[in-house]
Amino acid sequence: MKSPATIGSSGGGAFGEAALRCEGVTKAFQGVHAVNGAGFDVPRGQVTALIGPNGAGKTTLVNILSGFMTCDRGREFIGATEVTNWPSHRIARMGLMRTFQLSRELGGLTVLENLLVAAKDQAGEVLWNIFLRPGMVRRQERDNIERALDLLETYGLYRLRDARASELSGGQKKLLEISRAVMAQPNILLLDEPMAGVNPALIDRIGGYILDLKRDGVTVLMVEHNLNVVERICDHVIVLAEGRTLAEGRLSGLRENEQVVKAYLGEVIDAGTVR
Amino acid sequence: MNGTWYYVFTLVFFLFDYFILAMGLNIQYGETGILNFAYIGFVAIGAYVTGVMSLPNSAGTGQYYILGLSLPFPVNLLVGGLTASAFAVVVALIALRRLRTDYLAMVLISLSLVLYDVCNNYVPLFNGADGLYNVPEPFAGVLHLNTNSFIPFFAGVTGVIALLMWWVMSRVTRSPAGRTFRAIRDDDVVAAALGKDVFRQQLKSMIIGSFYAGIGGGLIMQFSGSFNPTAWLPGETFVVFAVILVGGVGNNIGLLVGALVVETLLVHLPAFLPAIPGHPGLIEYMDAAVIGILLMAMLWFRPQGLVSERVHKAASMGARERLNTGATLTLDEEAAALAHATGKPEA
Ligand SMILES: Nc1ncnc2c1ncn2[C@@H]1O[C@H](COP(=O)(O)OP(=O)(O)OP(=O)(O)O)[C@@H](O)[C@H]1O
Ligand SMILES: [Mg+2]
Repeated sequence: MKSPATIGSSGGGAFGEAALRCEGVTKAFQGVHAVNGAGFDVPRGQVTALIGPNGAGKTTLVNILSGFMTCDRGREFIGATEVTNWPSHRIARMGLMRTFQLSRELGGLTVLENLLVAAKDQAGEVLWNIFLRPGMVRRQERDNIERALDLLETYGLYRLRDARASELSGGQKKLLEISRAVMAQPNILLLDEPMAGVNPALIDRIGGYILDLKRDGVTVLMVEHNLNVVERICDHVIVLAEGRTLAEGRLSGLRENEQVVKAYLGEVIDAGTVR
Repeated sequence: MNGTWYYVFTLVFFLFDYFILAMGLNIQYGETGILNFAYIGFVAIGAYVTGVMSLPNSAGTGQYYILGLSLPFPVNLLVGGLTASAFAVVVALIALRRLRTDYLAMVLISLSLVLYDVCNNYVPLFNGADGLYNVPEPFAGVLHLNTNSFIPFFAGVTGVIALLMWWVMSRVTRSPAGRTFRAIRDDDVVAAALGKDVFRQQLKSMIIGSFYAGIGGGLIMQFSGSFNPTAWLPGETFVVFAVILVGGVGNNIGLLVGALVVETLLVHLPAFLPAIPGHPGLIEYMDAAVIGILLMAMLWFRPQGLVSERVHKAASMGARERLNTGATLTLDEEAAALAHATGKPEA
């Protein structure tokens, strides 16, 4: 996918190629248009960056795509299924998981439990199974615990498995958010600034995790301000400005796009990054 | 049997009964985070329905009430519990689906007041302000207990029921279902993001908790043979809240401790103490104040309650300790090592 940057792309590409697709999404808060006709395709199996100045509507868009807000106008598709304004738990069950810009941990639960909650289709969530099929519940729980501990090892949180999630540091909470989403075996992962406010070494590590997920076939859409990170791990970039899709393509192409530079890159091209 | 034993078994009955009530409110509030300020209303429904299921047809009893089916114990009790659950479904569909915690709490407290007014004033339902009385004693025809032997017997029955309900509740709270409830309590947005149907789970929790409320109420009805609006003033909800906050939210054993401290020692024991000369009734009136002060002291000095919430550790879930964990460095050590190895502080 080495298409050059295209201005005002409506998000071309056939169905099936896009894991996630939105068209003309609009959302106003008391007259303020936070998102104003954004539309794009998120290519399957790739890492896509969603960039744009502060207040461009990135988080609002993530909230709409993950079902936490309804949009005023527009449509959303996961694969070929239209999921416009579905509630968040149904979108999650379609295999789309999201993380939050400000980490939200389940503070009273342990780190391990935070992951276990995320496991899909748990027999033990159905009350009569607890009493009528205890063996099945126990077996499934044991498998889930093993998988969760594997993930905690991978994400360097194994030692903290029994700590209450509220006791973690900021960076550890970021890792917990990502590993918890991964525990749910998503097809599509929406990450809202997964590297904001973490130390540089951890940024590298999180970047590595995202590439691992891509290798496992997960489609990733991540909001990210750090262009070095975008350059290194993202295949595709979508630029959002004032709630509209301004351009998409590879970052190198976008750097030469005058409109993009003016709207966003201009202020960061020297610094290399914005915070 | 002498008077002392009569008092002791009355206290034992209320200890077990409030343990049941506390478990019901705890799964709603302590586990799922639903601030059910109408809880005592569900207790009352359980009590009244247990009563009218057990009483004969009202004609000729001198009381006015619906049904009157002469059902035996414990069938009447079960119907009482199930009715409280059914009422919870109605309440949840109306209020829980749309409202955030704080608004929900306000709606529920109003509901509790409305329910109280209806039961207190609409006589054909549950005999209005007089309430139900002369409710048949459980097993009366079989065991031929007199008043003295009935009290210890029924305290024992309540103890057995409480134990059974405790066993069921611990299975639920330790299961993945209980974990999902606690996830919703901690952050319902995260729970939804993880694919949990928050409303459905809250509904489940309301149904279970209200069943416990109804059973607890039904047992009070059977223990005293009567039940009227003075027994469930809307403020009584806060006594149950005090039980779970003092004992420890989210811990079933803590609830028993809470029931012992608040219900047995503070609410009921003082009634049996000799009156302070010249101030009859003073001790009873001090209850509310003492509970209030205790509650404030607890929230200030020991917010987790006397018994802290169980931490569900990996080992207790049957996970083996892993010795060869690869990434055993702490996050900070690892970060430092990585930064050193790559030699470049990321721009
Ligand atoms: N709940 C809300 N109510 C009112 N206005 C809102 C709300 N959420 C977002 N906005 C407004 O919508 C616009 C877009 O906000 P959004 O958080 O989506 O931006 P963003 O691109 O994520 O910014 P950042 O890079 O700072 O995270 C902003 O002007 C914001 O003030
Ligand atoms: Mg944002």
